[in-house]
Amino acid sequence: MLIPLAGICFLISCKKDFLDKKPSTDLVVPSTLGDFRALLDNENVMGQTPGLGELSSDDYYLNYIYWKTKTSTKEHNAYVWAKDIYEGQNNVDDWDLPYQQVFYANVVLEGLQRITADSGGDAQEWRALKGTAFFTRAYAFYNLAQVFAPVYDSAISPADNKLGIPLRLSADVNPVSVRATVKQTYAQIFSDLQGAKDLLPVSIPLANRNRPSKPAVLAMLARVCLSMRAYDSARLYADNCLQLYNTLIDYNKVGSVPFPFSKNNPEALYQSNLLSKTEVLLAFIVPDCIVDSVLYRSYASADLRRTIYYSSTDRGAPPNLRWNYNSSLYLFSGLATDEVYLIRAECAARVGNTASALGDLNTLLQNRWKTDSFAPVVAPTAAAALDSILLERRKELAFRGIRWTDLRRLNKEGAAIGLARKLDDGQNPQLLPNGMRYVLPIPPDVLRISGIPDNPR
Amino acid sequence: MDSIKPIALVALLVFLQPGLGVYGQQTSPLISLSEKNVPLEKILNLIKEKTGYTLLFDATWARLAKKVTIQVENATVEQVLKICFKDQPLEYQLANNAIDVRVMDTLRGRTVNARGEPVPSATVQVRGVSWHAISSDSGYFQIQVPSQGTVLIISSISYEPQELPLTGTNKVTVQLNDRIGQLSDVAVVAHNGYQRIPRERATGSFSTVGSVLIDRGVSPNILERINGQISGLLLNKNTIVQTNSSAISIRGRSTILANPQPLIIVDNFPYNGNIYNINPEDVESVTVLKDAAASSIWGALAGNGVLVITTRQGKYKQEPHISFSSSLNVGNKPDLYYLPVLSSGDYIDVERMLFDSAYYNSAQTNPTHPVLSPVVELLIKERNGSPADKAAAEAQINALRGQDTRRDLDQYFYQHSLDQRYFLNLSGGSSKNQYYFSAGYDKDIASLVRNQFERVTLSGSNTYILCPTKLELSTSFAYTSSITRDNNSGIINAPYPYINLVDAGHALTVPAGLRQAYKDTVGGGQLLNWDYRPFDELHYADNKTHLTDYRINIGIKYQIAKGLDAHAYYQYAHGSSDHQNLQGQQTYYTRDLINEYTQIGQGMLMRPIPLGGIQDKGDTGYSANHVRLQLNYDHQLGPDGVLTAIGGAEIRDVEGSVNDSRLYGYNQDLQSSQPVNYIPFYAQYSGRSPAQIPYQDHTVSTSDHYISYYFNGSYNYRQRYILSTSARKDESNIFGARANDKGIRLYSIGAAWEISNEDFYRFSALPILKLRLTHGYSGNVDKSVSAYTTAQLNANFNSYGSTSASITNPPNPSLRWEQIHIVNMGVDFTGKDSRVEGSLEYYIKNGSDLIGLSALDPTTGNTQFKGNVAGMKAHGIDLALNTQNIKGLISWTSSLLFSFTRDRVTKYDTSVSANPNLDPGSIAYYLDPSVISPLVGHPLYSVYALRWMGLDPLNGDPQGWQNGHTSKDYKTMTNSSDFKNLIYKGTANPSFFGSLRNSVSWRQFSMSFNILYKFGYYFRRSSINYGDLFKGTRGHPDYDMRWLSPGDEKRTSVPSLVYPANTDRDAFYSESEVLIERGDHIRLQDLRLSYDLQKKFHPGLPVRAIQFYLYANNIGIIWKANHQGIDPDNVTSIPNPRTLAAGIKMDL
Repeated sequence: MLIPLAGICFLISCKKDFLDKKPSTDLVVPSTLGDFRALLDNENVMGQTPGLGELSSDDYYLNYIYWKTKTSTKEHNAYVWAKDIYEGQNNVDDWDLPYQQVFYANVVLEGLQRITADSGGDAQEWRALKGTAFFTRAYAFYNLAQVFAPVYDSAISPADNKLGIPLRLSADVNPVSVRATVKQTYAQIFSDLQGAKDLLPVSIPLANRNRPSKPAVLAMLARVCLSMRAYDSARLYADNCLQLYNTLIDYNKVGSVPFPFSKNNPEALYQSNLLSKTEVLLAFIVPDCIVDSVLYRSYASADLRRTIYYSSTDRGAPPNLRWNYNSSLYLFSGLATDEVYLIRAECAARVGNTASALGDLNTLLQNRWKTDSFAPVVAPTAAAALDSILLERRKELAFRGIRWTDLRRLNKEGAAIGLARKLDDGQNPQLLPNGMRYVLPIPPDVLRISGIPDNPR
Repeated sequence: MDSIKPIALVALLVFLQPGLGVYGQQTSPLISLSEKNVPLEKILNLIKEKTGYTLLFDATWARLAKKVTIQVENATVEQVLKICFKDQPLEYQLANNAIDVRVMDTLRGRTVNARGEPVPSATVQVRGVSWHAISSDSGYFQIQVPSQGTVLIISSISYEPQELPLTGTNKVTVQLNDRIGQLSDVAVVAHNGYQRIPRERATGSFSTVGSVLIDRGVSPNILERINGQISGLLLNKNTIVQTNSSAISIRGRSTILANPQPLIIVDNFPYNGNIYNINPEDVESVTVLKDAAASSIWGALAGNGVLVITTRQGKYKQEPHISFSSSLNVGNKPDLYYLPVLSSGDYIDVERMLFDSAYYNSAQTNPTHPVLSPVVELLIKERNGSPADKAAAEAQINALRGQDTRRDLDQYFYQHSLDQRYFLNLSGGSSKNQYYFSAGYDKDIASLVRNQFERVTLSGSNTYILCPTKLELSTSFAYTSSITRDNNSGIINAPYPYINLVDAGHALTVPAGLRQAYKDTVGGGQLLNWDYRPFDELHYADNKTHLTDYRINIGIKYQIAKGLDAHAYYQYAHGSSDHQNLQGQQTYYTRDLINEYTQIGQGMLMRPIPLGGIQDKGDTGYSANHVRLQLNYDHQLGPDGVLTAIGGAEIRDVEGSVNDSRLYGYNQDLQSSQPVNYIPFYAQYSGRSPAQIPYQDHTVSTSDHYISYYFNGSYNYRQRYILSTSARKDESNIFGARANDKGIRLYSIGAAWEISNEDFYRFSALPILKLRLTHGYSGNVDKSVSAYTTAQLNANFNSYGSTSASITNPPNPSLRWEQIHIVNMGVDFTGKDSRVEGSLEYYIKNGSDLIGLSALDPTTGNTQFKGNVAGMKAHGIDLALNTQNIKGLISWTSSLLFSFTRDRVTKYDTSVSANPNLDPGSIAYYLDPSVISPLVGHPLYSVYALRWMGLDPLNGDPQGWQNGHTSKDYKTMTNSSDFKNLIYKGTANPSFFGSLRNSVSWRQFSMSFNILYKFGYYFRRSSINYGDLFKGTRGHPDYDMRWLSPGDEKRTSVPSLVYPANTDRDAFYSESEVLIERGDHIRLQDLRLSYDLQKKFHPGLPVRAIQFYLYANNIGIIWKANHQGIDPDNVTSIPNPRTLAAGIKMDL
């Protein structure tokens, strides 16, 4: 009699606590620095970038039968730059996943505001987490803007400011989404990266290259500025980055193993990959995804990239991609030092500093060619140097999700690169330079629920 | 063992017999008005004095006469005598001023049952007098009866009441007929987990199965024992876990994503353990609470109905009673040929065709070395080899045509099952105490070799009256321990129909995982043997689950005042399930894993996964504390009314834990293991991308906290009008404080009218008729949702070795319980002479605030939201009818159950997918049976299909319908977003179901059999899928019926073979209506024969009573609608084989 009575009295007396007990230890109401770190370390959410740009680019072509019968609706249509990409299908990861990253970042930013961390280690971690959240949000906004917003153009007058992407800056799911302008979009990306820059550690976390650091932020700033054609700033950030970290891998020392580069390879500044559901680009798993022949032929035989990047699964068959900077089937889309070298080289060439430009280019190439066959690139003029650099950029950064942004940018510079697919049924779809189809449509469920306007196609 | 201590303590309590004497029962039937209490003789003499009447009598009557109290004024002699002789065993005659008094006749008789055995303790009454007699143990009785014709009424709990007109004889033998089936088994009292409710007082819908029917079967699972015994209760078949289907449903379905299981109450409290922990032999009754009036006392847990299991107890004033039962149950081997498998010859023909079409060419050079079938390997040899090799390969292929894997499986992997059951119990009681003790042992050797189940159960209960009429203490415990060995899944990891597994007792190697030639050569002999030999695997397996479970109950009842009792109950329950799977180094799984991770380079051999076994452990456990304080009130209220009420509060705390772990390099003898490094990525031989060592450790603890307040009351006026009401408030830790602040108050009200007790009721065909109507609410929960932004820690480290977490729910501050509104109308009736008895009920269930998904703008970072956004409605009919068809020497009774149920989704956001890979805007979503796909207006589980327009006569292509035309645009037809193309074929669960049980008995023999039926539902059968066939994963004998040449479309609907396979064409065919079958069927479930003997009738019997029986189960289908040979309860699985049990029950 006493046991139950005592029990009930005890429990009633602390009823509030009794009913507030967490139902499962698996459930976390994120509130500690450890919880926030765990959220930001979720690589299934964080480490992925949209694949629609690469799918629409010219690094590869598909076996016709494979394209006709095996590809999913979205990939099928993106390959030929169709007017309707989704055909009514919802849940487009290219949009949903970056916004999930933004949501996580906002949960963390709001959560951090409720924590005061003034002791040493905690304060450092608090700053790193806040910097990571800023970086994550900027990274997501930038990747979205490459696919779903027109290219940045500083020449556009404010009157015809084009629509960018929705900028969600709070974790609250209730406010209705609205599209910011392209200018506002890049301003937000810029301010988030600036915010991250001084919060993050200067040194790269060697075993956790999924976590951003100051060199990664600087590399990202360089990439963003390049896409905005702000070459002076891009060169400055690239230089700042390489001042802090400039390691390159000597491909002469890379063995002929299936996955030569781990996720923590020395060139990686920040790890991410194209959406894992980008099916046609799953490296050698899809033998029908073939490296663009012109691109493949542009690698000299003494260029180690030719064999390290590509091979064919069947003797005599056209080559497929086999290489990755993350030892997985998914295409690396993160930040690495080779890209930063190329950015600094290009920007130097664009301001006429041929020596500096070629210096960076040859530093990179010397690590890419067989040592005994390497001859430094020479160029009589800055313009010639720029051409060499852009060619090497194409070869070095193929299949890294960068080509799409480059196409948009270079065409804006007047490069007039047109894309075309040759289909076995005789059709010949084309993507004209600076065309409206360089901006992909917004997924139908987003349009339906939020009511934002779609991109013209 | 810590757990032993509390058991020992309670066992001690249970067996502590109080050393108190027997309390005499005070019987004082006569009214005592002392001043007038005088001998009858005196009054008669006074009459004689005052009236001058003559008295005529002999002397014997005076000692039989009872004293008389009388108070009359100016009454006639007749009136006075009438009063005086009331309740006297005497008769009088008044004639010619003489009063003739004499003793009534003595009737001697005997009560026997239909088998001629004595019926003890039967009550014998005479119409018109107040006394009665009780038959002795031998069935004999004697009673005074008036000499004028009268009627004898004999009643007994286990038998039908009997009326016998007397015609002047002084000796009778009364044969009583058994109450059989529900006639006897409908307990007169239903138990809702809080109180016993006499059936005549109930307004709600209760169904009870008593021990007679529970003991009919031999299954170790109580739920199987009540299968087909309760209307509205269905054991669901073909359930799919991903669609949240439940194994058992009561009155259909009323939730979508939340918990679909009925609440199970054992000994007053919700049961958290495994149902196999309950030995059905210990179960006294199972009551199913179906409507709100019955179940809303369980409030927010009762939305799916409630099963109340009560265990056996002793009885006060009963001599010790020992009974023993045992049974032996033998089962056939499962029919391996039931599932459709493409014949070996056809399979080989297909492989050859594919080989000739260069289908396997890329696999032969694929760097991942995918496995190739034996026939393909032989074909490669044939292609590459010398003419002699070719001939040898051809001969080997031809030999394979005659082989069938199922032959070896049947011979070496399956056996006859053998289940043994032993059960002993002891019960009894004095006037101050009642006790029950039982012990059970079960051993089931499964039909799969090396699989078995062993269970030991112990239970005991003891109730003491500590202070007569004031204080009662009850204690009980139940303990179960079982071991399940699961070493044989019955399937092997190779899809080819023609491989042999055993040759002359030796296990054969079967291709699996990687190509055999690669396995044999890779690693230069430094790797472990990489062969897969299924027959050896069978013997290497060591996979067992140990369940232990115990409950301890303590209850105190204290009478505060007459009619007012206070009760306190406490239950502690603890259960654990320890699953242990040791895969030693000789097992393929372990060798394969060790090899995959082995790194060989520069002459070094490194094994990141060490040699030795892999031991997986999964421990789950719970411990529950329940406390309940309750007041019971039962009292006369007003001159003709009775008020019964209970009210109380309870608090529950259920703590659960899950603990999964894995040890590598395990050595069983030393019980030692070795550490591994989970962080690095290791290259794989299979050419897959580098991978980390699988990390399986995971620990979770859960806490369910509830505080509840409840009330249940009923008022019965003049045995005719009954009003009832119940209310409950639940608070729990699931929803966060805000939902609790608002609280949820679930209530019910009900009314019943016993129309046959009305004075105006004259309908003699139905002497008992009662109408019932109830309305109320119950609730349900989904523990996966929360009011807060919640994250879940991911089970595995990320690739950098860090813990990571995912956000599972955006915040949902308005989260609340699901509510189910139930209206129930019922009529109970009993026909003349109890020949017919039954009830008919109609119900409507309306679920609101159901947990569902709704779409969110993905820009918010969340594509969907789980909240109270859905609705469902259901209605149905339950009929239970018991009839006594023949009475007498041969007795025949029938029991018919019939249920109709139909549910329909009323509210659901169809733009959200339960599976992120599928789009609910496409009809493909609704054609996929493996996702839950609610569509407003249709049952939750529906069968949809695409229109079928036959085969194309030109080439055997399947044809459908699109935009008003016959179409072969398979991609569009299967993925259309136009819902007009989706044909609703019907519900996937039976709309009509029930059972018919017949029992016949003659003398000591009884026979009963149960027929189950299910109607009004559909299923999709499988057929050939060429894509799957070419992949080698699944063939189908429909292949033989495929379209081959024009004209075939008239005889077959199986499309022609096309290569390469067109997945959309395959999908269209498998989703078309031509493969939809009606599930309707009737099945003879079981048959029971028994022979009873009792010592009273057979004095030579060494025991008090004994029963021998035979019980056959899963006998077979009598009729089914489909002509495909498919048992609709087993569309994708092998039906349970027939079993035959022989058993014995003894009362010692």
